[in-house]
Amino acid sequence: MVRMTDLPPATQTGMANLECPSFETKPFVSGPPLAKRRIAVVTSAGLVRRGERPFVSGEADYRVLPGDLPADQILMSHASVNFDRTGFLRDPNVVFPRDRLKELQDAGTIGSVAATHYSFMGATDPRMMEANVRAVAGRLKAEQVDGVLLTPV
Amino acid sequence: MSALAHYLEAEGVPAVAISLIRIHAEKVGPPRALWVPFELGRPLGAPRDAAFQTRVIVAALRLLEAPQGPVLLEDFPEDDPTGVDRPNWRPPFDLSPGALDGSDRAATERALLEEAAAIRPLHERFVAANRRTTVGLSALGVEECVTLVAASMAASGVPPSSRDYPAGPVQTLRWAVDDLKAYYLEAMSADGAIPSSRQMQNWFWDKTLLAQAIIALRRQLLASDDKRSQAIGRMNLVPGAQVQRLGLQ
Repeated sequence: MVRMTDLPPATQTGMANLECPSFETKPFVSGPPLAKRRIAVVTSAGLVRRGERPFVSGEADYRVLPGDLPADQILMSHASVNFDRTGFLRDPNVVFPRDRLKELQDAGTIGSVAATHYSFMGATDPRMMEANVRAVAGRLKAEQVDGVLLTPV
Repeated sequence: MSALAHYLEAEGVPAVAISLIRIHAEKVGPPRALWVPFELGRPLGAPRDAAFQTRVIVAALRLLEAPQGPVLLEDFPEDDPTGVDRPNWRPPFDLSPGALDGSDRAATERALLEEAAAIRPLHERFVAANRRTTVGLSALGVEECVTLVAASMAASGVPPSSRDYPAGPVQTLRWAVDDLKAYYLEAMSADGAIPSSRQMQNWFWDKTLLAQAIIALRRQLLASDDKRSQAIGRMNLVPGAQVQRLGLQ
């Protein structure tokens, strides 16, 4: 278990002082029950497909992660070294929980799992990512996704 | 993550963010967020614990069903049971390294290659058991990564110009270091009880020649005239927690 107080003092200070965007509007979209929703993962863990160009510092672009991508083809290329990677290397679901979502689909808890998921690299200022996130939203809508689980690292 | 949730929601796509840093979610005010008391890097908490991960996901996804909002920030009530130190843990191999003499390139490379070879059987066991490895960002083999590290150490942290680096030489060096770290940590994860990430990291940074090499590279890149090299040296080689613990400048 790690909370802010468990982080090194310099990291705590950096986290506390990090400038975060604030928004004048507060969009909130309602939808059907979970059992009828199609769920996709959007992660900021810097995941890429093996052989694809890894993320670099400051990059605001995104990568596409097919849901059936073999686990051996998923790499993590986040710019930061200040988070744990040992969990991910033992179990990709700790960041990209597609196996859990499939089980929830089979159990009827969610309607379905999207065929495609998306990855950003969270060390970049999110304001730089806005256009790309909105582009991903367009793709998600085209794929009939009406529920997104966002996972950071 | 919270800002990304806002942008998705603004486009009409309902989104729920898992938040590892509560104060960031509080500042941004996403449409929905579940704060989890887990270590950075583990938004679902416990590796290889499907039941635990499922509880986290369901707690998050249920926020999608809230009839009105915005800004529902709930706290997940459980801690990650794997996030605590194991007092009796011993690493699966003992490298007992001496001091790395970075002044002799051939000797440095030989020592690092021997260390990498010593843990290869464990790494192979990890790959066989998990049917995957996260080594691969640099697209170099483990031995090539070692050679790149040793050659760079012998040239004040500058990778040799004898090869192509599509993403730039220092960026490739950084990915090679990432790959080698993953190789070691996967080998450490091959057998027996898995310790906390802190135990694994402390052991890696205290007990391996590779860590000595990375620390030396960091020192060289920090002294570079090139801003990109300085930035990678400062931020992308040694975790801040280890910089502090080891008293690095």
